[in-house]
Amino acid sequence: MADMRRDFKDREELVAYLREQFPEAAARSPHVSPFIGGRTSAESRLAVSKFGAEYAQTRNYVTGSVTRLSPYIRHGVLTLAEVRDAALAQVSRAEDAEKFISELGWRDYWQRVYAQVGDKIWQDLEPYKTGFTADDYADELPDDIRYGETGVRFIDDLCKELFTLGYLHNHGRMWLAAYVVHWRRVKWQAGARWFLEHLVDGDPASNNLSWQWVASTYSHKPYYYNWDNVLRFTGKKYLNASPRILGNEAFLGTYEVIARRLFPNIDLEHDHSQPHQSPPKPTRFKQDGKKDKRR
Amino acid sequence: MSDVKTVIWVHADNLNPHSQPFKLAAGAPALFVFDDALLQAWGITLKRIVFMYECLLELPVTIRRGDVLEELTRFVAEHDALRVLTSYSPSPRHAAICAALRQRLPRVRLEVLSEAPFVRAQQVDLKRFSRYWQAVKGEALTRTS
Ligand SMILES: Cc1cc2nc3c(=O)[nH]c(=O)nc-3n(C[C@H](O)[C@H](O)[C@H](O)COP(=O)(O)OP(=O)(O)OC[C@H]3O[C@@H](n4cnc5c(N)ncnc54)[C@H](O)[C@@H]3O)c2cc1C
Repeated sequence: MADMRRDFKDREELVAYLREQFPEAAARSPHVSPFIGGRTSAESRLAVSKFGAEYAQTRNYVTGSVTRLSPYIRHGVLTLAEVRDAALAQVSRAEDAEKFISELGWRDYWQRVYAQVGDKIWQDLEPYKTGFTADDYADELPDDIRYGETGVRFIDDLCKELFTLGYLHNHGRMWLAAYVVHWRRVKWQAGARWFLEHLVDGDPASNNLSWQWVASTYSHKPYYYNWDNVLRFTGKKYLNASPRILGNEAFLGTYEVIARRLFPNIDLEHDHSQPHQSPPKPTRFKQDGKKDKRR
Repeated sequence: MSDVKTVIWVHADNLNPHSQPFKLAAGAPALFVFDDALLQAWGITLKRIVFMYECLLELPVTIRRGDVLEELTRFVAEHDALRVLTSYSPSPRHAAICAALRQRLPRVRLEVLSEAPFVRAQQVDLKRFSRYWQAVKGEALTRTS
């Protein structure tokens, strides 16, 4: 086959060429991400990233100072070692960048698990700890989720971001994944395949294993949340809208109430044990069903 | 640098112009192949293809599409190469292509190169992140030497 073209005068011309070359990919979803590929863009983004206190304090908020370096890291345009070195160069004490560097650690960790399990990354690494077995979960992603038309406003907003940007904030990924697996009782594999279609940073290790973490097939309990958690970490976005417009009834209630609704066969402990990570500050994560880790 | 005729096989897990293969064999012909079967199997959408293509436009590579093993074999022949350099990937598909290439072209030396690691520690308990992090934290918070 002939070589593909390299001479484009601008992005528009490149995109037109790729639409023509890969019509199936464009038919699945016509959007082009605002993330520009390449080392030049990666370096510019690295140069403006915040790695110290500002990152640690705001990273859980969808408007927080996260780096959005993931597509570059995923494709090796930046190595984890050089991003870590850039982070250390920005702070006076290494501990000030610990939160950020531990997130890089998550990537390294998932990559290592992938190297160990290989294609088994598509199978449940452990049983579900939800009081259900894998057979209780649907195999396929329902169309209303696939097209972002669930009627739950914040879920549909997340879907649209996924389709148009090819990127979601980590908290958004967790909310959407938990919605698919726990609220809709769909196998995590169906959700993971869907994310991989759209994410510009889509990576079998970070993606599938994070889905397994949410589902509880690679963690000690399922991740879930409630509306207070969404409100808190989305800023003012949904603050004054009525439940009728938000379609968020299924998320209203305390963690105990939600847990009984989602996992009626088991008694999920609402303890404060911290098996995965050093304890978060007690007040910040009071709203979380799975308190061991904020990713 | 050795005199052995070398080509570089670039894949999607390492689109860095400063990668080890480019450092070790600067100026060597390089190839990237869009893996049509994989794009199809994963249902990859345009967003990712555009992003990857932009990365590729900053690399000195020939860009093709199709069956990776076939295209790679052809590229090696076109350049009479006796050595292929590529980057490490944890992907089983990458390992399978490497194995198939070695079998098909036994006279050609395939070298898989790693970048400077995040942490060097090898035997780490991966059952849960907390165990991993306890074991590597000290090194992770230290600059690459
Ligand atoms: C369901 C689900 C699916 C996910 N799928 C992917 C995926 O396909 N590819 C991917 O790179 N990440 C994935 N993540 C992890 C995480 O959400 C993203 O890496 C992060 O949101 C990227 O944004 P950022 O670069 O601004 O992150 P920052 O907070 O700025 O972190 C810096 C870098 O650390 C790494 N990182 C941060 N958090 C994580 C994490 N939890 N796991 C692994 N690496 C992390 C990323 O490389 C990231 O670029 C997923 C998380 C969930 C819950």
